Amino acid sequence: MDYDALVIGGGIAGMESALNLGDMGYRVLLVEKEASIGGKMILLSKVFPTLDCASCIATPKMAATAHHPNITLLSSTQVEKISPLPQGSFKVRLHKKATFVDAAKCTGCQECEFNCPVAAPDQFNYGLVARRAAYIPFPQAVPKKAIIEKIGTSPCTYNCPASIKAHGYIALARSGKFEEAFHLIMEDAPLVGTLGRACYAPCENECTRNLLTEPHHLKLVERYNKEYFYLAREIKEGPLSIRRIKRFIADYYYARHPEPEYGPPPPEKRIDKKIAIIGSGPAGLTAAYFLAQKGYEVTIYEAEDQPGGMLRFAIPAFRLPNEVVDRDIKNITALGVSIKTKHRVQKLAELKAQGYDAVFLATGAQEPRHLKVEGEDLEGVVTSMDFLKDINLGRRQIDLSGKTVMVVGGGNVAIDSARVAVRLGAKRVFIQYRRSREQMPAFDWEIKEAEEEGVEFQYLRVPVKFLGEQGKVTAAESIRMKLGAPDASGRPRPVPIKGSEHKIPVDFVILAIGLTPTTHPFKDELELNKDGSVKVDPETLQTSLPYVFAGGDAVTGPSMIVSAMGQGKQAAQAIETYLSGTNLKDFHRTKPAPAVPREKVLKRQKYHTRLAPVPRREIPPAERINSFQEVELPLTEEEVRYAASRCLDCGICSECHQCVRVCPAEAIDFSQRDEWPEIETGSIILATGFNLFPAELKETYGYGRFPNVITSMQMDRLLSPTRPYNTVLRPSDGKTPDNIAYILCTGSRDRTVDNPICSQVCCMYSIKQAQLLMGALPLADITIYYIDIRAFGKGFEEFYQQAQAMGTYFVKGKVAKIEEKGDGQLIVRYEDIDHGGVVREAEHDLVILSVGFLANTEAQRYFPDNSLQLDDFHYIQQVEEDISPGKTSLEGVFVAGTAASPMDIPDSVIHAGAAATQAAVYIEKIRRRT
Amino acid sequence: MSHNNHFPTTNNVSGSPSGRRIGVYICYCGGNISDYVDVEKVREAIASTEGVVVAKTTMFACSDAAQQEIIEDIQEYQLDGLVVASCSPKLHLFTFRGAAERAGLNPYQYVQVNLREQDSWAHTDDPQGATEKAIKLVAAGIAKAKLTRPLKPYRLETVKRTLIIGAGIAGLRAALALADLGIEVIIVEKESQAGGWVNKFASLYPHKKNGQQLISSLLYELYQRENITLYTGAQVVEKKGCVGDFEIKIKTSQETVTHNVGAIIVATGFENYQPHQGEFGYGQTSAVITLPEFKTLVESSREKGTLEFNGRPIQSLAYIYCVGSRQPAAEENAHTYCSRFCCNAAVHTALLVTEINSSIHQFHLYRDIRTYGKFETLYEDACRQGSVFIRFAENEPPQVIPENGQLKIKVKDLLTAGEELELATDLIVLVTGMVPRENSELVNLLKLPIGKDGFFNEIHPKLRPVETVIDGVFIAGTAQGPKNSAESTASSLAAAAKAAALLIKGYVELEPLIAFVDVERCQWCGLCAEACPYEAITKGSLGEREIAEINRALCKGCGGCVPVCPQDALHLEGYTDEQVQAMIEALATESS
Repeated sequence: MDYDALVIGGGIAGMESALNLGDMGYRVLLVEKEASIGGKMILLSKVFPTLDCASCIATPKMAATAHHPNITLLSSTQVEKISPLPQGSFKVRLHKKATFVDAAKCTGCQECEFNCPVAAPDQFNYGLVARRAAYIPFPQAVPKKAIIEKIGTSPCTYNCPASIKAHGYIALARSGKFEEAFHLIMEDAPLVGTLGRACYAPCENECTRNLLTEPHHLKLVERYNKEYFYLAREIKEGPLSIRRIKRFIADYYYARHPEPEYGPPPPEKRIDKKIAIIGSGPAGLTAAYFLAQKGYEVTIYEAEDQPGGMLRFAIPAFRLPNEVVDRDIKNITALGVSIKTKHRVQKLAELKAQGYDAVFLATGAQEPRHLKVEGEDLEGVVTSMDFLKDINLGRRQIDLSGKTVMVVGGGNVAIDSARVAVRLGAKRVFIQYRRSREQMPAFDWEIKEAEEEGVEFQYLRVPVKFLGEQGKVTAAESIRMKLGAPDASGRPRPVPIKGSEHKIPVDFVILAIGLTPTTHPFKDELELNKDGSVKVDPETLQTSLPYVFAGGDAVTGPSMIVSAMGQGKQAAQAIETYLSGTNLKDFHRTKPAPAVPREKVLKRQKYHTRLAPVPRREIPPAERINSFQEVELPLTEEEVRYAASRCLDCGICSECHQCVRVCPAEAIDFSQRDEWPEIETGSIILATGFNLFPAELKETYGYGRFPNVITSMQMDRLLSPTRPYNTVLRPSDGKTPDNIAYILCTGSRDRTVDNPICSQVCCMYSIKQAQLLMGALPLADITIYYIDIRAFGKGFEEFYQQAQAMGTYFVKGKVAKIEEKGDGQLIVRYEDIDHGGVVREAEHDLVILSVGFLANTEAQRYFPDNSLQLDDFHYIQQVEEDISPGKTSLEGVFVAGTAASPMDIPDSVIHAGAAATQAAVYIEKIRRRT
Repeated sequence: MSHNNHFPTTNNVSGSPSGRRIGVYICYCGGNISDYVDVEKVREAIASTEGVVVAKTTMFACSDAAQQEIIEDIQEYQLDGLVVASCSPKLHLFTFRGAAERAGLNPYQYVQVNLREQDSWAHTDDPQGATEKAIKLVAAGIAKAKLTRPLKPYRLETVKRTLIIGAGIAGLRAALALADLGIEVIIVEKESQAGGWVNKFASLYPHKKNGQQLISSLLYELYQRENITLYTGAQVVEKKGCVGDFEIKIKTSQETVTHNVGAIIVATGFENYQPHQGEFGYGQTSAVITLPEFKTLVESSREKGTLEFNGRPIQSLAYIYCVGSRQPAAEENAHTYCSRFCCNAAVHTALLVTEINSSIHQFHLYRDIRTYGKFETLYEDACRQGSVFIRFAENEPPQVIPENGQLKIKVKDLLTAGEELELATDLIVLVTGMVPRENSELVNLLKLPIGKDGFFNEIHPKLRPVETVIDGVFIAGTAQGPKNSAESTASSLAAAAKAAALLIKGYVELEPLIAFVDVERCQWCGLCAEACPYEAITKGSLGEREIAEINRALCKGCGGCVPVCPQDALHLEGYTDEQVQAMIEALATESS
């Protein structure tokens, strides 16, 4: 047996139970689901009727619990399942939540907390203020260790093929930490400027802000004949401008650092292994970056005369300026990577012969598809790849002044080609695409920008023949199409309409109908797929030649820059493993934790403030068509901070890694994962506590609608020694309240909210708060509206008399309703029973709802088949309350404190003592048995 | 802790005249101290005091993190004295002694300075004065700490046997639990029969459990166990010794026996309030009775199926609540407290009456209905079943007027806009509360502390609710204050936990802060022995000479003997003349 007793819940009853058993010499495991023990008691200001400071009473118990030689404390741990064993003991499955902080190393210095850019509602201040994602629960926490609240990967980060921590750099940008944001991106991808401009941002598709809609937007719609009605139209708010924020970060950093801040790894970190990379596109550059960082000697072979691959020769400068690519590439070359341009590798074996230990093949997909129609070989008919390379690499001057240019295709390359043609002076540029706009692979904004620049779109058309004179193209013959049944890609198949052929005069034709992998030279050395892509293991990217790995478009076919970079990163990890001599069978690339469901994120808040995205701004079309100047205008710093502030912090922790950087103890550990240990225990004490009544359920009191209606727990926080504002103020305007009302029995003795019983403590804590308020705000009037004042415990009646003597007004009458005036003042409507039973209204500037207890039914879930009995009010049933208080329906399982019934702290302490004694008797009983 | 990271925390004291290395920690106590005392200023003022090696401020000295820092400092700076200026030592003396011990510092070289109860809370109107006072108090604490020396507590083996006084439900339940934990139990019951009050009731609220059956089941269990001895018709007549090993004399009708016990649980129960002659007509007419009397009537009538009083069926009755409870403080010997159980008991009784005859009119004249917690449903049921509740004001209690053989009650009902009601009923039940039992002999014997309400007093209602200031003596059940039976058993089981923890360990450690004799000076005049309230001083000898001898187990360190000695031969460890003088000097020195 691991423990004699398991105590579940580290509130006052749980601590007291554990201490009693520990003092009796039994081994106790105390589990607490929060990061600190202390329960609700430690959050209170003072306690009735002695007006002791709650901290002063709870902290020594907390410290005694933590240091007791017989007590083991597990915080951030929940019980998942309890199975009774035949000999009378129990098998317990626990769920230890990852805190991402190594508690043994953490010193509680709070540096992580001070540097964390994510705010979350502070559950220990009942939402009055925010705390950080990395936090220590409260100053008196035991254990005083930081934890990081990370409930999963934010959807943006999760959806990035290169696992760039989008949420992380957004959080940093929000706090103006742009350099830090740059470094964070560099942890996952070196081409920051490029991505900031040319990434298709799959992160933005998954942004939870996309799900936020404007429900009140009504649209007048005509239905049938002149029958009008309003249709509630939902307008999506739109995602964060993640890519444009990234562009700002890159520009900000590059403006301050024209050269990288680092050089090659120091000699002692270098590894005596050589790696050749074929292709200097995004995949190759990324792999080189990570491998060089590790200390490998990396050489990139590039067939063209300039590095960058598609970044340079396929994406026009008006989308991605060359200087940006140049600066991005410096991030790689600074590490000592050499790029051999104009060097086309033809044989892999040659590289091996030259002494390379591994090869990464990243040749991309540059081979154009052909239409295979008559006249395709005429002068003036070019492939998009040739066209773009000529222009972007400056290989050839092409003057299209006054010419009519036809572009065939519907992808990004087609649009880029058309827009380049416009800039080369073409008189007319049109795109023919065989399907309709809905099926077009190009993005809406690309089509829109092309249209603005005068590009025409002709859908459902395709050329079947090019006509020429003297070997030069003069016209195209096109045919119209219609959409048929879906094809293998799921899109409707275009079907030619017979007899719709027509001729169009053209001077220049650019074919942009797709690209295939550039793998031809290696077909004898490597196994290829039917489509020409390199066959690889999807996990390791290893090819049929063990020392050769492949990635990027050469493997995937034409894809996104960021996907290619993801593959480069993946290959680097695999190559490192391969070169270290580890069996690649055991290789698993690092994957992020599961994504947080977006619906769950939205449900965390009752409502969201609507924040419109920052609109995209471009150079006006008339101006931009005359040059290759970058079209998209940058965001200002102010815009970036606003745009980033729209982030909903889906996963809570953004993985910005600021904590990792600042922690002096190196205690932050993001590789931590949840654990499910199993233990055996002789007995169990359930000290799972209670839930506070959710005040918003009492709708007529307006909690959640009227800011100056708060709960008693919030008031206790305002009065506590660790109070959030260091004073008592009302939420709407920060004014010091001077006419305060308490409404007792909020959610208690009330069948309308299905809680008919009395919560036993509210009268007394309200009287306590009244006395404390009179001390804190000597001028304030305090009125307590009550049904009966239940001052029944030792010293309580005297405490009540004292509050009356101090001048608290007690009004017998249940409040029916609260209304708010314009200035935040509240009107309380009640029956004044002691004065003739008339209905009166009174004005107060702050109303405190004395919320009661609701049962916490969590414990029932631990046991099989609901075998733990609950009473009529869902508290844990005490089956022999009169002589064995704390005994439950299950042998060996006891309940302590408010898990059994509403009760105050002294009663909880006593009840815990009773539970502990009976648990001890049970332990002795099963010891005798075995 | 490190509330403030940037102040200089250490002095270089390698050549300090006292040679002591003292650490001083001044607590904000959230704001409890720092709202009125400029804590940083206090630290600055005392930081350079001779012998002080570390001086720090902290948000909560008692928090685990702060204790850890203190421990680290003790070890790093090799401190040989520790001063924490925070709250009353009543609250945290043991907390910081524990921290010192964990750090390897002798716990008796720790000195607590009370800046809260004795300073910040007392001078909320004068922050400047409070700060000056704090500086002096801390200086005095440092002066005392410099004169501390390592002490060892006195270890005493415990007797694994408990005495329980009172065989009501609380005492019996605790006895069973302790016996099952392998601890022998002696129960002493004054009455000739065990069972107490619960044994008198056939129906207990809220579950209608039969009290007699509960008691017989407990007694049945008790007789199954060999390690419980029950004396009925018996009294404790003598107590000697101390925690861990008390010597107890028990007198029964036949004999006087002596037992040694390690712990004592006092579960002597309560008395029912006895109304005085004429209180709501009590004693003037037989038709005014108390709730326990009425319960007996109701329970005897349940089988008969009719409720009769003096041979006549009752058609209407009235309950008057809070009789003997919630009395105005101005009254002589007032019971100002609420008796907790009576609302529940009265409403429960009304439900029993309805079960017998639902046509009986029942009027409840109350001030506040305090059917707390789940007992609320009893009140709801009573309302549903026709009980009429009439609320009177504290200063306008109902008047009972006997008239033509019938009883008339005049009452102003606040629930109907202050209407003056006249009720004619066959019976009036005074809902009487619990009052402390007359127990002065036992109180004197055990030196039990009594609270303002006359019940036995715990050390602290939350921290140590079943412990008394007399080590090894615990209180349980209604002897401590009004409770129902379930609450009584809960508290007795809690007391059992404390007694068990004490006795299972096998030994206790007694405070070494007790009196000691300067054998050179002592000439045995016996004055000290007369002054000692604990009979801890006896005549001993040193060779030929007679001298005073202190029983370490009995001395409580009260200091009563010290000033009476004409030879100045008695001293108190921890409060030596040198220490007290040094403290006075520190207090009297003008701070800069």
